[in-house]
Amino acid sequence: MFGSIKKYETFADRSNPITKIFMAVILFITVVFIHNPNYLFHLSIIMMLAMIVLSGVKFRYLAALLCFILLIGFISSLYMIFYGEGTTTLYRLGIIHITEESFVRGIHIMMRGLVLSFFGATVIFTTRITDVFYSLMQQLKLKPKYAYSFMAAVRMVPIIASEYMALRQARKVRRALIDKKYVSGLKGFRTAVITLLSQSIRRAYRLGIAMEAKGFDDGPRTYYHKTSFSLSDVFLILLTAACIYTAIQLGQTAAPFASTDAR
Amino acid sequence: MAARKGLTLTDVLITVVIALVFSIIYSIWGGVYTALQPFGLHLNELVYGMWFIAAVVAYLIIRKPGVAIIAEFAAASGETIVLLQFDVMLMLYGLIQGLACEIVFAIVRYKSTALMVAVLAGVAAALSTLPLDWYYGYLGHLETWNLVLMVGFRVLSGALIAGWLAHLLYRGLKETGVLKLVGSREANHSGEL
Repeated sequence: MFGSIKKYETFADRSNPITKIFMAVILFITVVFIHNPNYLFHLSIIMMLAMIVLSGVKFRYLAALLCFILLIGFISSLYMIFYGEGTTTLYRLGIIHITEESFVRGIHIMMRGLVLSFFGATVIFTTRITDVFYSLMQQLKLKPKYAYSFMAAVRMVPIIASEYMALRQARKVRRALIDKKYVSGLKGFRTAVITLLSQSIRRAYRLGIAMEAKGFDDGPRTYYHKTSFSLSDVFLILLTAACIYTAIQLGQTAAPFASTDAR
Repeated sequence: MAARKGLTLTDVLITVVIALVFSIIYSIWGGVYTALQPFGLHLNELVYGMWFIAAVVAYLIIRKPGVAIIAEFAAASGETIVLLQFDVMLMLYGLIQGLACEIVFAIVRYKSTALMVAVLAGVAAALSTLPLDWYYGYLGHLETWNLVLMVGFRVLSGALIAGWLAHLLYRGLKETGVLKLVGSREANHSGEL
């Protein structure tokens, strides 16, 4: 999917999607248990570097993504910066009360998001969606009916999107004739969603019957696309572990934050 | 067609397609959510309930065990596909919220389509991820009034959007007649409202 913007491939592209998802879960748990902002500071920088190196995507796309992730991360931590508990006041305006403690805690929450977003972006850039389902079926023995219905449904997303555009244009043409309340607001939302849902359900029903008739059921089956675990998976696991370890070691020596506990 | 008890491929496919329609809405909704965040007053929590709506709508339509959890998980993973942003947290949250809805539906034995059931499921989903948020976002360290505001907004949003709005969509879908195709093909959807 990213063939046009990728420059090279690494072992991250060759490792099994299940390993990547598993590593993402591990990283999530790790991040929730890290309370020292210094560790997290280094971990987010290391993850950013890992994303830049491993994704193999042209830098200007990565730069745009980086700005986006930083902005969203900052906005989502504002609630804590503005309203968190703390004693050392930095700034106060009406109900907004920024303290040193709440500021560090806010930045800490932001860095948690950054670590996960950077790793997530690496996964997205190095994984084909269909491979996820093939390895779920082959390595984790997911029942094919779930995997194939998901793959079939993903194919329908562009159709759903184009149907929505058609609906919008149809409304635009009839703008003079129909009441405004059917276009905007709750009623507009409701009619749009019901139209999309009913058409999609009909299409899914037809496709489902056809697939059942063709034998996409739970019986034993063989696969043309084979997925397996390999040495690349070992590399990925080792790399993730090394990132976490390095971040903790660096956090003990180079500490940009005075506090060692964001709580 | 013989009445098969479990989920057939068609059931799963319809569930996932419903979920993906909502995952497109979720992706757009993410913009609304982010736009409300800068005030820090948790106004964004007022729209949070939209993220459980797929589970409730899918249940109301198909009413079989497992549908709510598949729908919510599929919608969450669909969102990562639509946004091209793999977010393990989002998928985990989807799973937990789907599970919360599923428990409510299991209590009513997958029979009732009452508005109250939908509202309860919405509230359950709203409450389900609070423990995780508590640890992740250090909610215990917020000023108390701010925390109360956040939880209140979230529950209200779960009840209104995931409960009431989902039920509204369900009734609308029923009027279109498309529901005769789906689910356990009993007299479920044929009766009047």
